[in-house]
Amino acid sequence: MPNDILPEIGSTITIQKPAFNSILAHLKEDGYLPIGPRVKNESLVYETIDNLEDLPQGYSTVQKPGYFRLIHTGHTRYFDITHGAHSWKQFLFPSRLELFTLHKNHAGWYDTTQQAETPRYAFIGVRACELAAIHIQDNIFMRADFTDPVYRARRDRAVIISVNCTHPAETCFCTSMGTGPRVKNGFDLNLTELDDVFVLTIGSDLARKLLTSVPFEDARGYALNNVEHKIEHAEQQIRRTLDTKDLPELILDNLDNPYWNEIGKRCLSCANCTQVCPTCFCWDAVDTMSLDGQETKRERVWDSCFNPGYSYQAGGNTRPTIYSRYRQWLSHKLGTWKQQYGTLGCVGCGRCITWCPAEIDLTEEIVNLRNEVRR
Amino acid sequence: MTDKDELKMELQKIPWFQEITQAHLEKIVEISRLRKVKADEILFKEGDREDCLYVVIEGRIALDIFIPHRGKVRIYTAEPWDVIGWSSVTPTVHQRTAGATAVVDGLIVGIDSKKLREACEQDHDLGYLVMRRLANIVASRLLVTRLQLIDMFATPEEQYAK
Amino acid sequence: MITAEAMIENVTSQPKTLLQPQWAEITNITPEAEGISTYWLKFQNQIEQEAYRFEPGQFNMLYLPGFGESAISVSSDPEDQQKIGHTIRFVGNVTRAVSRLKVGDVVGVRGPFGTYWPMKQMEGKDVFIACGGIGLPPLRPAIYHIIRNREKYGKVTLLYGARTSSDLMFPHEYEKWRKAGIDVEVTVDRGDANWNGRVGVVPMWFYQFRLDHRKVNILTCGPEIMIRFVIFEAMARRIPSESIYVSLERNMKCGQGSCGHCQMGPYFICKDGPVFRFDELQSFFNVEEF
Repeated sequence: MPNDILPEIGSTITIQKPAFNSILAHLKEDGYLPIGPRVKNESLVYETIDNLEDLPQGYSTVQKPGYFRLIHTGHTRYFDITHGAHSWKQFLFPSRLELFTLHKNHAGWYDTTQQAETPRYAFIGVRACELAAIHIQDNIFMRADFTDPVYRARRDRAVIISVNCTHPAETCFCTSMGTGPRVKNGFDLNLTELDDVFVLTIGSDLARKLLTSVPFEDARGYALNNVEHKIEHAEQQIRRTLDTKDLPELILDNLDNPYWNEIGKRCLSCANCTQVCPTCFCWDAVDTMSLDGQETKRERVWDSCFNPGYSYQAGGNTRPTIYSRYRQWLSHKLGTWKQQYGTLGCVGCGRCITWCPAEIDLTEEIVNLRNEVRR
Repeated sequence: MTDKDELKMELQKIPWFQEITQAHLEKIVEISRLRKVKADEILFKEGDREDCLYVVIEGRIALDIFIPHRGKVRIYTAEPWDVIGWSSVTPTVHQRTAGATAVVDGLIVGIDSKKLREACEQDHDLGYLVMRRLANIVASRLLVTRLQLIDMFATPEEQYAK
Repeated sequence: MITAEAMIENVTSQPKTLLQPQWAEITNITPEAEGISTYWLKFQNQIEQEAYRFEPGQFNMLYLPGFGESAISVSSDPEDQQKIGHTIRFVGNVTRAVSRLKVGDVVGVRGPFGTYWPMKQMEGKDVFIACGGIGLPPLRPAIYHIIRNREKYGKVTLLYGARTSSDLMFPHEYEKWRKAGIDVEVTVDRGDANWNGRVGVVPMWFYQFRLDHRKVNILTCGPEIMIRFVIFEAMARRIPSESIYVSLERNMKCGQGSCGHCQMGPYFICKDGPVFRFDELQSFFNVEEF
């Protein structure tokens, strides 16, 4: 009912789908840039959206190791599609960022950095696995001993409208990692799409205000049951598993196992997996100088442990062969990450499987390693 | 104190000589000689016949190899308790492969290699102990040489220099 | 030149961006050996200079605008508040650019970073420092600390080796250290006509020292291969891995445990190291290419 009353934090409501556009309008009025999934160039990207119609209604994906296809099935749902190569990482932790610019005069170097306005993003359609990945990156970039000021500024301003997954892809294994398909917390607004309505759970005061003048109803029994039913259905659809009971020991106790060489033979060290992974956080500082030597810029760019230069020091490279770089990535993601940050680094989104041109599937490799170790 | 008594006393300070029987020690003392050396004194030159091995008691004995066009290269120094000339016990080329020079004043024990070999032939128990000790010396010398070979302090340019 | 306002802001407020350096002037350059010199720095901002404190074993990120940064251990006396010494070997892009700097030039400094030698924990124990090559500079602050507090430590030995006699670091200080009660023993890998000292690698000289495995702490720094054999020799003499401290290095970019480059297993060498107690590393130290 349209009225002046706003829903309480923690409450669950339903809205008619077109009403979502009012929420988007509120966000834009408040200075937010809504980002959501869009179809572009036969792929699925996260870009600015203006209204509901920009979402990939009718689209679905087929994903397998090394395989991604967008298919148009003609269904009517907006948030049915699962993710493509993009993740929300690129907005909170941009792939290229100017840190500062210095100019030289007779007295030395002085700072001429243009202070850029921190963008205020509204992430529309964040999956449970993606939200878990954001929380993992929060632990990395905002710690007691060190906080990345750029990440913090963007994260503090970001609005999160999450989505309960109802149609996972074949490469998904969030259930094994305990990260989905159900969104538990950490959102402003959590959305589940039913055929006729959106079911929304209010997570914050900001979310309440987004419902200003938006017609809504308290979610009734049938809607809540329907949501539960859809989540259970999604859970059952996930066939891919990763047994984490013996991680990280399985990897860390078997770093010398010759099986790593086997994977190394297939891996191309192309760094796709680290780019699409929503938790990978390695970066490099790049210094450039103008030709006249009067201006220099320091930038932060994404880096990858697969890059040959990553472990290069004057005196040599500590990981010159591909197998040791693959081992570094996996033994970090499913191994040492736990000691560093308290959880494993993988959220089970399956991107690294879909986007690996060599079709390397880490869930399969862990099983193979386990078998090799037992032999 | 006789020379032999002094010799025995000096040898008995060294751990390996403490571990062999008195009889074996006497045998070795019989075929050894205590010798003072002065700084820069040459013990043997490259190419000399190998006739004895030396145990350093005090001082420092350096091993040098002369390389045509490069001059004398010092490849090793033996400090107290170290042994040089061990290859004379199981000779292959019958010639010293490096020269030995005392770097500072010192005291060494020279053991006649031929007589040591004969003693080992006659008493296999002694022979086993001596050969085992030699194997240890060779192993540690090999490790040192390997570490020198890989040139661990070299900068990248030095590493790849032809 | 950073404006006065910006300099004061840098000292007192949270950084607005990452990797922002403080600026320091080179007050002196001491050539140490072929391709190695010590650069003495003093912050341009007096407040920053007075506030700067480091522990033996820590490092700074030195920044040359346009070239990049390099992680350099501080090699000077921690009690000297007037200047900070960085012993640099010219091997990469950044350090080679540093070699072209002169007294009066300004460089960026971030730091100090990292863990440090366990000076407090070693009190009452014997200290055996086994290091080689450019591994001595990060230990020099520890040596100065020991000399200043000599009565707190037992037998203290420095076993130091370099490639040749002209590569030895700080030879003019050995007598001073000996007089202060430290047994300084030197060796080179390769002798030459001028050298009457030991010829042989650092690890092999362990046999000459009576090390009480219950009382001694080993500090080691240098090429990783040397460290490996020093540890090998130490453990062969029953010295427990909890008594051995190593300083490692890896490619470092941020110095703050954020960029990921310097990771070795679960550790960020820049923040969980560079000084480690060996038992922390034991399980994967010998894994090839880890």
